[in-house]
Amino acid sequence: MATETNQLRVRFVTPDHVLVDEMATAVELPSKTGYIEVLYGHAPLLAELGAGDVTLHGAAGGHARYNVSWGFVEVLPERVTILANDALLPEAIDVPRAQEQLARGQALWNAAGDSEEAYCEANRVIDEAHAKLASAAHPN
Amino acid sequence: MANVLDLRRRIRSVKSTRQITKAMKMVSAAKLRRAQDRALAARPYAQRITSVLASLERRIEVLDPKTGNLRHPLFATRPEKRVLLLVVSGEKGFAGAFNTNILKAAFHFLAANEDKEIDIEAIGRKAREQMRRRYPAAVFVESTEENPADGSPLIRRVRSRKARVEVTGDHPGLLEKLTHDQIQSLTQDMIARYVHEEIDACYLVYNEFKSVIQQRIVVERLLPLIEPGKHQVTEAIEPSAEERERAAEAAVSSGVSLTPEDYAEADAEATKFGTAEVDYIYEQPARELYNGLLPRYVASMLFHALAESVAAEHAARMTAMDAATNNASDMIDSLTLYMNRVRQAAITKEIIEIVSGAAAL
Repeated sequence: MATETNQLRVRFVTPDHVLVDEMATAVELPSKTGYIEVLYGHAPLLAELGAGDVTLHGAAGGHARYNVSWGFVEVLPERVTILANDALLPEAIDVPRAQEQLARGQALWNAAGDSEEAYCEANRVIDEAHAKLASAAHPN
Repeated sequence: MANVLDLRRRIRSVKSTRQITKAMKMVSAAKLRRAQDRALAARPYAQRITSVLASLERRIEVLDPKTGNLRHPLFATRPEKRVLLLVVSGEKGFAGAFNTNILKAAFHFLAANEDKEIDIEAIGRKAREQMRRRYPAAVFVESTEENPADGSPLIRRVRSRKARVEVTGDHPGLLEKLTHDQIQSLTQDMIARYVHEEIDACYLVYNEFKSVIQQRIVVERLLPLIEPGKHQVTEAIEPSAEERERAAEAAVSSGVSLTPEDYAEADAEATKFGTAEVDYIYEQPARELYNGLLPRYVASMLFHALAESVAAEHAARMTAMDAATNNASDMIDSLTLYMNRVRQAAITKEIIEIVSGAAAL
């Protein structure tokens, strides 16, 4: 059972403002190398986030999910701070735009030629679009 | 001598002008407050990025084993032959000398760097108009090649430089609604040019704004980075004491606070980010984390500069409109006095006529 003592303080900071500042029992994070879930008492960790969903479990406002395309997270035993360049609720995702982005990413991928940099960029765009579409498909 | 009717008409016209300037002043004051709030809201993010960068720098992996310097290409300093200059002006006029001063600083920079090739990116409508008028736009020649992988056409854009100073781009509407996405793509473009050695340095001309009385025009070097968290101001123009006093008066009369916002508490919280005295597990290698953060850091610096510039523009407009309102009031006073005198003179004249007419009877 969640008590006062084994809750994490979760802060979600975007370039514009502090989006979330509340207590939660667990946080799911889309790290670059795969999803991780953080509970109270987790070892200190620094990680870069890729495109995906950040999910807060057991928060005061209920279950909350945000789509991010890039982020950075610091995990301490009782605190999680997430920096993200944008955080969208699944309902707020513009699906046609995400599809457009996917098409653009695929076009970039086709046009990348033998440039490694262009491939990376194209893959990033495609991943972002996929993550957005996946997130929008399952509203909270 | 003007007649009373004409004077009354002029007073009415000045009065309506005063009403407009007063309204503009109030609108600017409100916009200034909003811009300040926005700049304040952007601080936690920027602060946290800076502090986590500083903490990662203490890790040995991010340093070059040979030279002991930071390894990222954004730290590579080269002799400055080609320079990118970002000029941040206002979107609109009616802001006193705000735009003129920024452009003056930009032209001064261009004059002082005559031996270098300079690319200009104009941010804000006023800078765009002036720079476009004076300098030619950069020309890109497109050439189509065959993709060696599958034979599909590949389009390459090659820059052909015609003049020493060229305008490579402008960003209309960016300042009207500052969004992080746009700044992110501007930064990516800038970084790509730096990494591909198209430019050797990047400078930014803008109006720094801490509060109404703490502001100045600065030329700041964005790239190469020397030490994250430090502003590399290479030139600064402070406003005169008189200008500062006038700005303070305008701020007081429209209810804008003179002291900079107090960030101490929020900053203390932010500097803890990623700097706890513990052994962190690094999900990715420290160097990768560091390199992923650097472009965000540059973007947040740029965002910060633009947000301050927007606040400064509104403050300048507020000051200018306050001065205009005061001038209009003075004008109304002197016109009213003059009108009364004219009216009195007419009455006196009529009385004299009546009296002398009566005396003649």
